[in-house]
Amino acid sequence: MNAPGITEPTEAITRAKAGDAEAWGQLYHDYAPAIFRFCRRALPQREDAEDATMEIFMKLKGKLVQYDATRSFSAWLYKVAANHCWDMLRRRKIRQDKETDDLENVPLEHPDPSQLDQLIEQRTSEEVRKALEKLGGRARMALVMRYYSDMSYDEIADALGVRRAFVGVVLLRARHELRQALEGNAALAAGGAS
Amino acid sequence: MSELPDEKMKHLDEMTLLLYVERQMDRARGLEVSAHTQECDACRTLLRALERESRLLTRAMLEEDEPLPSRLAQFQERARKSMQWIWGLVFGLAATGVYALYTGYILPWQTQLEQAGFGGSNLLGLLIFQGAMWKGWQSMITLLEVLAMVTLAGLGAMFFRRRIRRGSALALVFAGLCTLLALPTGASATEFRKGDVVTVSSEETIKGDMYVTGARRVRIEGTVDGDLIVFCESLDISGHVTGDVINFSQGARISGRVDGNVRGANNNLTITGTVSKNVLTFEETMTIDPAGKIGGSLTNFAANLGMEGSVGRDALLFAAHANLDGKIGGEVRVKGDSLSIGSAAVIGGPVHFEGHSKPEVSSSAKMASPVEFKQMEKKESYREGSYYIWQVIWGAAFILFGLVLFALMPKFAKDTVAAAEHIGVTAGLGVLVLFGVPIAAVIACITVVGLFIGLSTLFVWYGSLYFAQIIVGAVIGQWLMGRTSELWPLIGRMAVGLAIVRLCTTIPHVGGWVKFAAILWGIGAISLSIYRRFEPVIAPSAPGAPYTPPMPPNTTVGGAVPA
Repeated sequence: MNAPGITEPTEAITRAKAGDAEAWGQLYHDYAPAIFRFCRRALPQREDAEDATMEIFMKLKGKLVQYDATRSFSAWLYKVAANHCWDMLRRRKIRQDKETDDLENVPLEHPDPSQLDQLIEQRTSEEVRKALEKLGGRARMALVMRYYSDMSYDEIADALGVRRAFVGVVLLRARHELRQALEGNAALAAGGAS
Repeated sequence: MSELPDEKMKHLDEMTLLLYVERQMDRARGLEVSAHTQECDACRTLLRALERESRLLTRAMLEEDEPLPSRLAQFQERARKSMQWIWGLVFGLAATGVYALYTGYILPWQTQLEQAGFGGSNLLGLLIFQGAMWKGWQSMITLLEVLAMVTLAGLGAMFFRRRIRRGSALALVFAGLCTLLALPTGASATEFRKGDVVTVSSEETIKGDMYVTGARRVRIEGTVDGDLIVFCESLDISGHVTGDVINFSQGARISGRVDGNVRGANNNLTITGTVSKNVLTFEETMTIDPAGKIGGSLTNFAANLGMEGSVGRDALLFAAHANLDGKIGGEVRVKGDSLSIGSAAVIGGPVHFEGHSKPEVSSSAKMASPVEFKQMEKKESYREGSYYIWQVIWGAAFILFGLVLFALMPKFAKDTVAAAEHIGVTAGLGVLVLFGVPIAAVIACITVVGLFIGLSTLFVWYGSLYFAQIIVGAVIGQWLMGRTSELWPLIGRMAVGLAIVRLCTTIPHVGGWVKFAAILWGIGAISLSIYRRFEPVIAPSAPGAPYTPPMPPNTTVGGAVPA
C-alpha cells in the first residue's frame, strides 16, 4: 500500500529518522497531499482536515524513530492518520447514534442487481464524494480506509475497534448508507428488492 | 453462505458477494462462489455491480479534486508555534478590549447607575434599563460596542469549538452570559398578584417585592417593603414603596412616597407625592405638581412636561413642550420644540436648551445662569464627511460581525444564503417576522414567565436585523462573484456584497428604503432557514416493503431476485 504514485522513499526515511530536516521536508512534500486528501475524505470539515494533516505530521515526526523499516511506510502513515481522524471524530462525538447499533445484526438482503448497476452507472466521482459527506463517521472512515488507503480488514478492525469478522458488515452498511445518500433510494440501501 | 430456495437456483447474499469481491474468503469458499456466479445471472450481475461500486469508490476517493491548501504547502511546526503566539496576542488584545470596555463604559455606567439609584451591578438591569432609558445618550452603548462584545464572545466560542463540541461551546458562552445576568440577583420573597383590581390596603404591608400583571387598576394604599413592578391600566400609589417602582401603565399617579426610583412608560404620569431617588420615564404627559418632590434626578421623554414641584438634582428632558415652574437643584438639559420657564422656577445649575424656538423665560425666574440656547438645525447628515467615516466604520464592524457569525455557524449561514435565493417567499416571511415577532414578544412580556422569553426574543430579533443585511450581502456577493460552497470564499463574497449593500444604504433619500428592503429580505431568509431546520422531517425510511410470502424455516437470505 502506497500513497498514490509514490514509491517508498527508504533513504529519505532513514535520513529523516536521523534528524535530517531536509529529508523530513521531502517526506512531508511527498506524503502531505495524500494525507490531506485522506483527512478531507474522512472528516466533515475542510478546516478540520487541514488541522488534522498538520497534527498527523507533527505526531509522525515524534514517532518516526518507532517506525519499523521492514514494513510499508505508507501503511504505517495511513494507520497513524486513520487513528488520528477516528480519535478526532470520537472526541467530537461526530459519530452518529445509529452507529452504536449492534454490529452483529448483519444486513443479509439481496438488492436488485440491475437497479444497483444502474445507480452506479449514473453516478460520478464528485457525486460520490458529496454523498460521502452525508455518511456517519464510522461508515465514512471504513470506506476511506478501505478504498482510499487500501487498508486490510485487520487494520480497519484495529483502527475502528471492532472485531475483524465485522469489518465486512461495517463496509456493507457503509455502502448501503452511501447508496441511500446517492439516490435516497431506500430499496437499494436496505436491499428491499425481492 | 445463506441461500434461498428459488424456482431454479438459490442466490448468494450481498455480504457473501462483497467478501468475495474483497478477496476475504478462503480458497474453497471462493471457488464455490465463483462457480455459483458462473451459473447464476442475478448473482453475477450483483457481483459485477459490487465490483463497479468498489471501482467507483476508489476513483472518487483518489481523484485529486482540490489542491493542498497553501498553509499546508510546507511543514509548519514553527508556523504553528507562531500561530499559537498569534492566538495569545489575539486573546491578549481581546482581554484588553474587554478591560477597556469595562473601565471605559461599563464601570462609569455602573457608577452612574448606582448614583441614579439603579443599584445596578446587575447586567440585565444595565442592558434593559440603561440601554433604553438612561440619560447618558452621549456615552450610551452603541451597537458598535455590542458588536465588539458579540465578536469577543464569538471568538471565545470559536476557541472552545476547537476543543469541545460546537453546541457545548455555545452553551458555555451563553451559560456564562446567563450566569452574569443571574449572579447579582438577590434572593427575596416576591409577591405575585393578578386580577381586575389589585389593592394593597392601608393596613397591609407586603414584605418583599411585589409583581402585578394583567390588572386594570392597581392601588397601593399600604406599604410595599421592596420593589413594585406593575403592568396595568391605572396605577395609584398613595401608600409607601420602600424600593423602586417599575411601571408600564396607561395612567399612573404617585401621591404617596417612593423611597427608591421610579422608572417606566405611561400615557400620563403625575407625581404629587415624593420620590426619594430618581425618575426615568417615557410619557405622553408628565406632570409634577407643586407638592411633588423628586430627591434625585429627573430623566424624561415626553410630549408635554409640566414641572411645578421640585427636583433635587439634574434634569435631562426630551420633551416637545416643557414647562418648568418649580425647583431644580442641578443642571437642566432640554431638547425639544419649546421650553418655557415660569416665574416660580428656581434652577440651581446651568440650563441648556436645544430646540426649534427660543425659550420663554419669565423675568421672575431665579436661575444660576441664563439659558444657553442652541437652535436645532435640520441638516442632512450625509453632507458631512464624518457621516462617511462612520459608514466605513459601520461597514467594517458589519463585516467582522458577519465573519464571526459565518465562522461560528457555517452550515446555518450557507443554508440561509441559499434560502435567500427564494426572493418571493423570503420577502413575505420577512414582513411577517419583522412586524409579528416584536408584537408577539411584547405580548409575551406581560406574563412573568414570558418576560424573559419576550426580552430574549426581542434581543434575538434585534440582532437578526443586522444579520439580515449580512445575508443579503452574501447573496449579492455570490451573484457578482459566483456561487461557492466553501466557507471562506463565501465570507469573502459576503464582505464584498455587504460593502455594496452598505454603500447603497448611504444614497440620499433612497438609502433608507434599500436598508428596509435588505432587512425584510434577509430576515425572511433567516426565518425560512430556521423553519427548514426545525421542520419535522419524515425519515426516508424503507419504502412500504412489498409483501413477501413467508419464508421457509432456516432461511437467512433476503428475497429472491426476480427471474
